[in-house]
This record gives sequence, structure tokens and C-alpha cells, in this order.
Amino acid sequence: MKSWRTWGVVAASGLLIIASWLVGRLTSAETVADGLMIAAAVVAGYRIAVSAVQALRVRMVSIDLLVVVAAVGAMFIDNYWESAAVTFLFALGKALERATLNRTRRALSDLVDSAPETATVLRDGEPEVVEVWELEPGDIVVVRNGEQIPVDGRVISGNGGVDEATITGESVPAEKSEGSEVFAGTWLRSGVLRVEAIGIGADTTLARIVHRVEDAQDDKARTQTFMEKFSRWYTPAVMLAALIVGLLPWSLVATMDNLELALTLLVIGCPGALVISIPVSIVAGIGRSARDGVLIKGGEYLESSARVDAVVVDKTGTLTNGRPVLTDVDILDDDYSREQVLLLAARAETASEHPLAEAIISGAREAGLEIDLVEAAEPVAGKGIRAEVDGRVVAVGSADLLDHRPDNARILELNEQGRTAMFVGVDGRAIGIVAVADTIRDDAPAAIRALHDAGIRVVMATGDAERVARNVGTELGVDEIRAELMPEDKVEIVRELQSRGHTVAMVGDGVNDTPALALADIGVAMGAAGSPAAIETADIALMADRLPRLPYALGLAKRTVRTMRVNIAIALVTVAALLAGLFLGGVTMSVGMLVHEVSVLAVIAIAMLLLRPTLAQGGAEAPRREKSLDLGAGDQATVRV
Amino acid sequence: MSVREQVKSIVLRSDEFSCPSCIAKIENKLNDLDGVESAEVKFASGRVLVDYDPAKVSVRDLVAAVAEVGYAVKPSAF
Repeated sequence: MKSWRTWGVVAASGLLIIASWLVGRLTSAETVADGLMIAAAVVAGYRIAVSAVQALRVRMVSIDLLVVVAAVGAMFIDNYWESAAVTFLFALGKALERATLNRTRRALSDLVDSAPETATVLRDGEPEVVEVWELEPGDIVVVRNGEQIPVDGRVISGNGGVDEATITGESVPAEKSEGSEVFAGTWLRSGVLRVEAIGIGADTTLARIVHRVEDAQDDKARTQTFMEKFSRWYTPAVMLAALIVGLLPWSLVATMDNLELALTLLVIGCPGALVISIPVSIVAGIGRSARDGVLIKGGEYLESSARVDAVVVDKTGTLTNGRPVLTDVDILDDDYSREQVLLLAARAETASEHPLAEAIISGAREAGLEIDLVEAAEPVAGKGIRAEVDGRVVAVGSADLLDHRPDNARILELNEQGRTAMFVGVDGRAIGIVAVADTIRDDAPAAIRALHDAGIRVVMATGDAERVARNVGTELGVDEIRAELMPEDKVEIVRELQSRGHTVAMVGDGVNDTPALALADIGVAMGAAGSPAAIETADIALMADRLPRLPYALGLAKRTVRTMRVNIAIALVTVAALLAGLFLGGVTMSVGMLVHEVSVLAVIAIAMLLLRPTLAQGGAEAPRREKSLDLGAGDQATVRV
Repeated sequence: MSVREQVKSIVLRSDEFSCPSCIAKIENKLNDLDGVESAEVKFASGRVLVDYDPAKVSVRDLVAAVAEVGYAVKPSAF
């Protein structure tokens, strides 16, 4: 059905009604005026009648039939105006509903439309433009500045900034270089990339997101299931009531006869706003969140998310960066500068495979030092490393590696702060201390604050040592710190919170946290863009690796559920008010249809408010801090990163 | 080859679903067709999921059948 035809019918019917009015007012040709009114009813009602017959053919009594019966009935009692008004308003309402409903679905159709159609593939070294479906996994595609990345794949050469907003909702371009993962449907904003195709078409993350969002939009909330059961009884009840009223031998309302009353009852009894109030809210809420890189599994999960008042968060990789960085360089021997201590430690560590070594070397590089490899080194199990640097023996590790046992107090102090501290020794004498630690993510404090502002209790759960956990937890201000946990202990924490009456969301990495994620009321996966399993299984999947999206998602869920409630209230109050107005007098068939259609449109319009972008860039999500290493003079011989 | 193995799935998309009453209308119409194993309308996302036997009924027939009850749909790749 073409939209111009739909609107054309509405416009023609409207013009006929106006013409009828003018003829009736300006002339005495009542027959012409009545004829024009009947024509208006037929023009607007024809398609409704066709639709009613189509429904009857498949054994269905539809709302269209109620309207047609009412309109035809009105004509039989010579109420042509009512007949024309009812059909015109119904046709207008349907056209408006269709247009507005499609706008609420647009959040998703934008995603479908963002699927790329062509790709430049290298065939025998030559670039060739092909349709995306012609690609095979393993093909090498070239993406130039300003072009769309056509496949999920891995960068094999080149550098560039990629706008991943379609997938992660993140508007700041992500830097990509050799080995980086890229997603179909994202845009290269600078540079040139050669990408090896891994996922094509329906196998891409974009397709997975689209399917996930569609399934989520179709998933019924508990409230919706209840309302559908209700309207299943409600519609036949209205019809039965209309029939009984129509057959009553005495008048129920003084101003109209019982047949007219029965027909009016049919019109105002349409459960339109009632049945549409919930799905339209869910479509809008889930569509909006998908645009912002948050996938919510469905209506039921929206309702649970709206009730969440406790969040269990894994520490490593969620609240912290998950990899140690250099935090402190102390001098113990005045003959050496901080640069020298750091340089010697870093050079000795070039022979080590330990993750802590990586932290020291990167820290030294970031401080502008050049690190040459050492040739000879000897790792000492559980204690550290001893290496030969420029003819001297440099040791990095515990006091056991040194000849003269130094004072351990500073090491213990750093340990107390949750850092791993090591002596740096030259020829058996301690010259300094280096310390590394997993650092708090830049966006974690904002996320915790936002959760607290929403009245949500935050529990940090980690397998790490108590003092490390306490340090991070205290700095972030979480409500409860649970450390030295085994995976099954996290299940216990979730169970305990639930038994205290909390609705619990659990944020985890989906592997060893699986049992706790399953038990929690809402399981949340972070950085899910690279993990198909997380997109499929998590109740809430945050596509970008950003914790502040969690309070955003929970807030959006609350707004959506609030919208559902407001909409149900509007629908019920409308029907109740119309029924009251009908029996008290004053509500006619056309007034009933008008109020009814207005209520349906109001319900859709309120749901559309959910589509407004609310994800604050730089507000809820703190801007990234620049790292700085200060190796200059100062009483406090410490480098903070 | 068993009957089961011949069944294919197709997603039809529409932007015309404006009232949930269209669900039963389309489902009844499609399920009455010979060769349609199952048809399910997803109102919120505007999809019709159909399992059908291509030897008995074509995608064109499915689209035509939905048009007969008043809705335009298009087959979708995903």
C-alpha cells in the first residue's frame, strides 16, 4: 500500500466532509450535503471495509469490522455525519499511526541500512570493486579515507582512525593499525587500511546486532503478556456488551437510542492504545540503546534492569585496566638519578618474560628513555632477575638478590598501597625501588558515581589480594569490597544480595564468571563488540569497553518502564472516561473515535520521546586523562602515572 | 530426501504493521497456504518469519499472500 494513496484517501474524504458542511450551511440543498457526507464515508471506509473482509476470510473479527459496522449502522439511522467522521478519523489515525510507528522502528532500520553493499578487493594485487556478497573469507579488501569498512576483519597493513559509532555507539574514532580488529558498517575517517575479511554479510557483528535488537524488540515484557491476555477478553466483552445494549427494549441514555449507543460502544471500545502502549515503548527503548552501543535482550530484561539496585563488578579489566603499569621510581643511593634507576631496571628486564617486566620497560620508554637489550641475564625463580648491564650486575626483585640486605619498609609501604615493589640493585647494593600496579580505568570513577546517584549499591568482587582490592575499592568509593574470591564465591555474593532483597546486575567477562552471570537478575558483558558469544548471551551487552554505559543502560530501562506505565494509564483512563462520558451523555460516535485516535497517537508520541539521544559525551563519561611521567627533581622521589 | 530437509526459511520485512491485529491476519493467511510449515509475525520489529517448502510454494507466493490481506512485504537477506 503506497503512502500517497493512504494520505490521498484521507485528504479526499476530508475535503468531501468540508464540501458537505459548506453546502449544508450555505444552501438549502440537504440532499446534496447528505450525498457528499455519504461519499466521504464511502471514500474513507472502502479500504477499511476491504481490510475487514480480508480479516473475515482468515476467520478474524478485526477492529476494522467494528468500525465498518458502526459506520454502516450510523447511515441506517440517517446519521451521515457520524458515519463520515468515524471512517475519516479512523483512516487518518491509521495513516498517522503507521508513519509514527515507523519512526520508532527507525533506530533499527538505520542499522540495517548502514550495512555496506560494495567493497574494493585485491585480486592478483589489483583493486576491484565487487558486491559484498561476492567476497570470501580471507579476501584482502582495501579501505580508503572516508570509505565504509565492508567486512569484519583484521588489519594487515596501514593505519587509520575508525568511527565505530554504528557498533559501539562511540563517536571518538578508534586508532587502528596492523593486527587491529575492524567491523563491517564502521567508517574509516583517516588513513588507508588493508583488511583481511573474516566475517561477511550475515556473519558480521553488525548483522548479529541487528538480529539481537530485532529479537529484543519482539520479546514481550511480562506486562505486555498480561495486557494481551486482558485484551483477548476485553474485545469480545465490548462486542457482547454492544449487542446486549442494542437489543435492550428500554433506553439507557436519554440523548440517543440504544442502537446508536451500541454502535458508539463498538467504536470507543477498540483496544488500540491498550495493545500498542507496551510494544511501542519497548521498540523505542531498545532501539535507542542499540544506537548508543548497548544491547538489551528484550522487554522482560528491560523490566528487570529497571529494578536493579545492586551491581556486582569484577575488578580486573572492568574497574582497572587489567595490565600493570609503572607507578613509582624511588632512589636509595644518591649517586644515581631516577632516570638511571629506571633505565637500569628496564634494561635488566628486557631479558624477562614476566608481565611486570613489560610494565617497567613501557614505563621507561614513556619517560623518553632508550632501552637497549641485555645479552646475559639469569632469572631467579620467585625472586626476580639478575642481568649484566655494561659490565655491572643489575638485579631487579626481592632483597634476596642483594648482598647487603636493604631496609624493607618502603617496599612494605608500597605493597600496602596495592603495588608490587621491587629493589633495583647494582653489584649487590640497592640503588632504588621500582613499583608497578594495575591502574584504575579513567572512566571507572564516573561510572561508580553515576550508579550511586541512581541509588545502586556497588559491590566489587575480585580474586586479587585483599590489600590490592581494598586500595582500588577505597579510591573508587565502592560500597562493599570482596577479595581473594574463587569464581564460585561470586555466585555466593549474588545469592546473598538477592536474599537481602536486592535485584542484582553482575558485570563479568563471561568465562569464569558464567555461573554468577547466570544467577544474577541481569548479566552484563562489557566490550562485547569483539565477542559474538557475549552479544548472543548477555542480558545487557555493552558494545564498547566502557563501564559508564551500564548506569546509562539501567537509566534508560527505568525510563522505558516508566513510559510503558504512563502509556497503559493513558489507554485505560481514555477508555474509562469515554465509557463514563457515553452513559452520562455527550460522547458521540465521532467524538469517541477522535478521542480514541488521539490516545493512540499520544501513546506513540510519548514512546518516541525515548528516541531522543541522552548519552552525554564527556558528561557521564569522563574525558580521557593524558598520562604523564615526571622524572624531574622533587622531594617525593616518586613517579605517578 | 525427507520432507523436513526441503524446508527453507525466509524473513519478510514490512514497514506497514501499524496495529497488532495484523499479526493473526497474516499468520492465518500464510499458514493456510499449502507448503508453508510455519509463519510467525513479529509485530514490533516488522518481520514475518516463514518456514516453507520451495517445491510447493515460492517466496513470490508468500509475498502475494500477505499482499492479499493488505500488507506489502519484501524478502530480506538477513
